[in-house]
Amino acid sequence: MTRFLLGRLLGLAAVLFLTSIVVFGAVHLAPGDPVTFLLHGRPATPETVAALRAEHHLDDPLAVQYGKWLGGVLTGDLGRSAQYHQDVTALLGSRLPGTALLVGYAALLVAALGVGAGILAALRPGLLDRAVLIGTGVATATPSFVTAIVLVSFFSVQLGWFPGPGGGAADGLGARLHQLTLPALALALTFAGLLARVTRSAMLDELGREHVEVARARGVAARTVVRRHVLRNALGPVVTVGGTMLAGLLISTSIVETAFDVPGLGSLLVQSVTAQDFAVVQAVTLLSVAAFVLVNLAVDLLAPLIDPRLSPGEGSS
Amino acid sequence: MRMPGFIVFVCTAALAASLTACSGATRPQTGAGGGAGFDVTPTSPAAKGELDSFTWSLYAEPYTLDYALAYDYPPNTVLANVCEQLLRVTPDLRIEPGLAVKWTRPDPRTLVYTLRPGVKFHDGTTMTADDVVASLTRQTDPATGSPWGSAFKNVDSVEKTGPLEVTIRLGKADVLFHELLAASPGTVVSAASLARQGKDYGTPKGSLNCTGPFSLEKWAQGDSITLRRNPAYWDKKLVPKSASVKFTFVEDPAARSNAFLSGAADGGYMVPATSLGHLRSSGKGSLLFGPNTAAANLAVLDFHGPLGNLKVRKALSMALDRKNIVKAAAGGVGVPAKAPAARGAWALAPEKTATLFDTLPEPAYDVEGAKKLVQEAGATGRTITLATSSLAPEISVVANAVQAAGRQIGLDVRLKPVSPDAYSGIFVDPAAREGLDLVVTNGYDNTPDPLEFYQYLRTGDFGNYGKWSDAAFDVAFDRANSEPDPGKRAELTAKLQEIALRELPVIPVYEAPYSVFLGKRVTGAPTGIAQLYYPWAATIGAAQS
Repeated sequence: MTRFLLGRLLGLAAVLFLTSIVVFGAVHLAPGDPVTFLLHGRPATPETVAALRAEHHLDDPLAVQYGKWLGGVLTGDLGRSAQYHQDVTALLGSRLPGTALLVGYAALLVAALGVGAGILAALRPGLLDRAVLIGTGVATATPSFVTAIVLVSFFSVQLGWFPGPGGGAADGLGARLHQLTLPALALALTFAGLLARVTRSAMLDELGREHVEVARARGVAARTVVRRHVLRNALGPVVTVGGTMLAGLLISTSIVETAFDVPGLGSLLVQSVTAQDFAVVQAVTLLSVAAFVLVNLAVDLLAPLIDPRLSPGEGSS
Repeated sequence: MRMPGFIVFVCTAALAASLTACSGATRPQTGAGGGAGFDVTPTSPAAKGELDSFTWSLYAEPYTLDYALAYDYPPNTVLANVCEQLLRVTPDLRIEPGLAVKWTRPDPRTLVYTLRPGVKFHDGTTMTADDVVASLTRQTDPATGSPWGSAFKNVDSVEKTGPLEVTIRLGKADVLFHELLAASPGTVVSAASLARQGKDYGTPKGSLNCTGPFSLEKWAQGDSITLRRNPAYWDKKLVPKSASVKFTFVEDPAARSNAFLSGAADGGYMVPATSLGHLRSSGKGSLLFGPNTAAANLAVLDFHGPLGNLKVRKALSMALDRKNIVKAAAGGVGVPAKAPAARGAWALAPEKTATLFDTLPEPAYDVEGAKKLVQEAGATGRTITLATSSLAPEISVVANAVQAAGRQIGLDVRLKPVSPDAYSGIFVDPAAREGLDLVVTNGYDNTPDPLEFYQYLRTGDFGNYGKWSDAAFDVAFDRANSEPDPGKRAELTAKLQEIALRELPVIPVYEAPYSVFLGKRVTGAPTGIAQLYYPWAATIGAAQS
């Protein structure tokens, strides 16, 4: 177990290192010049341009620039955002809570809606099952930015139940959650649809198994059968898929954050790529990759707890 | 390591680039209102009462609140209420005293400013000549990285010549420099705060210490900026009617329009052109249009290619269907441009605008004539490359119209799509202009003086992207820029306009008015581009008493 963990953490370090090189290369090979962004397209004197290039080390060879950045990171200094003139650490600190709250809320919705609808569909064949299938089909096929527009025009503009984008972050957790309900829904629906289908087919698989038939024939209460024999065994694939979805939420969040104007890492990443704000792009990318890898690791560690037949590292599929 | 198969859509946020601001250009006041279904007025109905606070939507977060770096709508919209300049631009685009009560010009190369006594910074300290000297000279230091550095190109020295007197010596007469003291270059901040904060000045970490009607209370990076009423403000005419203002940033045009409709934001300037119709008919507030100094033009980048021939430039101009461009690019709110500097840019001497601008002919639309000109020039079939970008919707609208015009007259117009950042680069980096013949520009003037626009056509100016050069133009510019009387200067500037229209280094396309949306709760906002340098939030209050 310890060896397994150690190996995975070493793997994480390697992945982060490679990612940082790839992202660094991509940002620097992209056409354009960070200085033009710093000047916002205003004509500037050659002296000003030279001073800006010097300040952001843009004249150093790429390897030297990367080395400087890496040295900084190893000492806990993520560099300075060229676009906002402030430390990247401070920027991330101000944006992380927004994304964490949004993704956490969306993950809860995915779990509740997805697993709930999936179980219902599996246990109630017929009309309800068909309705869930159609509903999840629509939910999975609709891109989150379309969902966002529909939700806002209906619930904010028409009905006024939820605040629309553009009001700034509300004060207090309750108000903030109320404000994040629509964005979290827009983010969650696609994934909830997928998870519902996975849950439904896993449940149906288990329902058709021999030991379930036997338990039923012996007259065990239906509720106990579902809870002890069906749900428990169906949970494996659901958790595995749910884990990858959490990682997917982290990636899709930029679209929803932009549509709902949520101050988070996603919208920051979009702006920073456009501005070639290298230090910020690096930091946000690495953070996402790390979160992604750690979520996967958590899923792998959970798998044996759910299904004792598995050892860590081989999730059920 | 499992990899999920999710596809990521990358959406680019529309960033305003300098000379290509997002949406909105302009048309100033005509005696008979605006024209096709819109009126242009400098202010909205006056406020009837006080407010605790209102929320104002910006289309992007300010990248800085450092006056020396602020040269775009979002930062200047916030700063206009917090920091003040030596002079001030009024809502009807006049220049009036600001932190300087008076100024004299003992000789063409000397400017003397007398400061307003007893003005307090937000921390309670009193403004002196030392603060003015520190604030101005900081912009001339290359290490500051100020885009305003070129405004100071003729400045030899800025000196304190009395406790409340500052003398500026120039290498050559430069009336524009004096006028720009009503914009960012003339901003006065506390010298002590500058020294204390260093690199953090104007960032979310730092604070601002200025003299305006509002002080900066909080900048929650990525979320909002909050201003608080300054009880000690010197100008009793502009005591804020609202105790606080909260700015929010909504980049997505659809989301921004929804912010107005849902009441999440009480108002905002630079309404996306795509939402104009929707917001006008929504009944959720009023959409108003104000004077603007901006205009959408086509700047020629290469005078060695087919556009080096004046006949080809004329032909392209004659083939542009400007009326339809206005419909598509500005939601129908705008007019074809008669000259490269907008009518709104002539506000300084309004009595002259009628004779110097209004008498200009409407731009000709004559496809057959244009075709003949191209044939005469022997340019039929030649290729013209035009940059296009998703930076602002009107860029691609104008680019497509140019392509269509070219097709009708025998020019092969090719569109070269570039990223928003690379598009801004065209205006900064000569290397980025390689291989391009034309670019769509949409710049605004900071002063109500058309001379500010025409300076960019001087030989060797940083803003002269195509390296156009005309000796008569340069001489006329210097004459205009040494004429302190606005009326006479307007006459001299008309010469520049005449040369520019004859030679077409820049092809005028259209001008649209400035726009502001006001929700039902609030009123009292100035409507025009003067809001960039006038404390516009001070006059906003309750719509109902």
